[in-house]
Amino acid sequence: MRARSLLWLGVAIAFLVFLDVAAPRLLNPYYVTILSRIGIAVIAAVSLQLVNGFTGQFSIGHAGFMAIGAYASAALSVFAGAAVLAAAAQVVPLPVARLAYFPVALVFGGLVAAVAGIVVAVPALRLRGDYLAIATLGAGEIIRIAILNIDAVGGARGFSLASPEYPSIDLRYESLAGVFGVALIAIAAISRLVYAGGGLAFRAVREDETAAESIGIATTRVKVEAFLIASFFAGVAGALFAHSEGYIHTNTFGFVRSFELVAFVVLGGLGSLSGAILAAATLTALPEVLRGLGEWRMVLYSLLLIATMLLRPQGLLGQRELWPISRLKGGGG
Amino acid sequence: MSLLEIRGLCVRFGGLTAVSRVDLDVEEGALVALIGPNGAGKTTAFNVITGVYAPSEGSVRFAGREIGGVAPHTICSLGVARTFQNIRLFRSLSALENVRAALQGAKRSGTGDMLRLAGWRRREAAAETEARALLDELALGSFASARADSLPYGEQRRLEIARALATRPKLLLLDEPAAGMNPAEKQALRELVRRLRADRGLTIVLIDHDVSFVMNLSDRVAVLDHGEKIADGAPEVVRRDPHVIEAYLGSDGEAPA
Repeated sequence: MRARSLLWLGVAIAFLVFLDVAAPRLLNPYYVTILSRIGIAVIAAVSLQLVNGFTGQFSIGHAGFMAIGAYASAALSVFAGAAVLAAAAQVVPLPVARLAYFPVALVFGGLVAAVAGIVVAVPALRLRGDYLAIATLGAGEIIRIAILNIDAVGGARGFSLASPEYPSIDLRYESLAGVFGVALIAIAAISRLVYAGGGLAFRAVREDETAAESIGIATTRVKVEAFLIASFFAGVAGALFAHSEGYIHTNTFGFVRSFELVAFVVLGGLGSLSGAILAAATLTALPEVLRGLGEWRMVLYSLLLIATMLLRPQGLLGQRELWPISRLKGGGG
Repeated sequence: MSLLEIRGLCVRFGGLTAVSRVDLDVEEGALVALIGPNGAGKTTAFNVITGVYAPSEGSVRFAGREIGGVAPHTICSLGVARTFQNIRLFRSLSALENVRAALQGAKRSGTGDMLRLAGWRRREAAAETEARALLDELALGSFASARADSLPYGEQRRLEIARALATRPKLLLLDEPAAGMNPAEKQALRELVRRLRADRGLTIVLIDHDVSFVMNLSDRVAVLDHGEKIADGAPEVVRRDPHVIEAYLGSDGEAPA
């Protein structure tokens, strides 16, 4: 079993190296950007799936946590990262320093978003169903508008990842390996979390809170935990977005983006990580594929959404996964 | 000292008094039946013991500790488990997952599951073996991988019992386990309850509508009517108690056989 884990790790690393080395040479920058956005959408979708699909808490403000991750990490890079990189460049080559700094910025964005996640979750998760949905929608908007009014991060002008003091330090990272590396980590972490004996607590809360409490599951703790992990990965996704685009604006993280994320998890199938991945990738690529249709593009996009929900109300994959989880279910012996 | 000790329990919902000044003692190892007509307050009493409701007045002590108003999951960890009158399984999970959720529910580690360090697989396998043993004990082995809501009715009731047992309780509360069963199924259930009590040394409180089901099963029968306890004693005595007969049938006649 150990050997198989190592094999998978090797495959993953080879895949990432291939992406980083080959993709920019084979594809034009437009496709690289789309791939990068797909990776970011996948991270946000699998994290939201933990809350909406597995724990059954319908959150529709997830873009707010992406915004926090994006702005927190961007602010770190502009106000501190640039200076640190300039100093480090005296000692080690700049690319090496950049490589070491990048994960720090991502984790920082994730952690700030996770703190915000707890602040939102503790009061909001006392609510159920529609009320919770409205509360998370409100929280997402509050976050967006609060950031819009912080002049230090650009306010309504948006925020560029460039330090006025160190104009020579490039703070952008357009790295497919970074995006898909994080995506693989997010998928592995959440999949291992929910598809374990202990992870049944999330689904137990989704199925019946009263029964879950009666068998010793601290349901509030489980819900807050789901929210915490989800907002962490949303924050990392936001940080990746900020550093690959090089410019962010609060408009990107409005409720339209939140609903787009909800569409990923519902269309993919609530309670299916592979479904969320599939839907996030498809729905991110689709508007680009349909670009040739001009103004009919979004009409067709919407019609496809409606048709899918009519034909498969349980989502593309329902609660199934494309990788085996039968041991937990009881099949296979 | 009794394992469960209820004193002067009152539960009020607004102007409605669902349970009124009820005392109840359950000795360790006893099998007590709680009976009464619909709306008598039986399930409300269970909900207070398991922490779903807080008592308006009075005390509930379990193993010497006051548990009135304590969170349900904490009460479960002290050793109280229950089944529900309207079956509350985790419907889209398999039978095995239902039991495993209860086995591991309280003592889980999210980071442990994510990292899966040495020993993780062995612990998971041990939990699975234990869950399968419980399913076998309740004759549910062949349903292990079936969705809980696809099980036949009687099996769903047994799965609820299996899930409750997985929390390793000292006190098991069964809320109308015989509801909707035919006489043969009821007989099998009686055997099961007897067996669980004998094999596991469980203390059991069981709710039912009528005296006949619990007649040859329980040591003691407590009768609730309109939230008040109107009788408490050996089944044969309670069955002839005029108050009980009146509660069920009006002023003349016999308790339903």
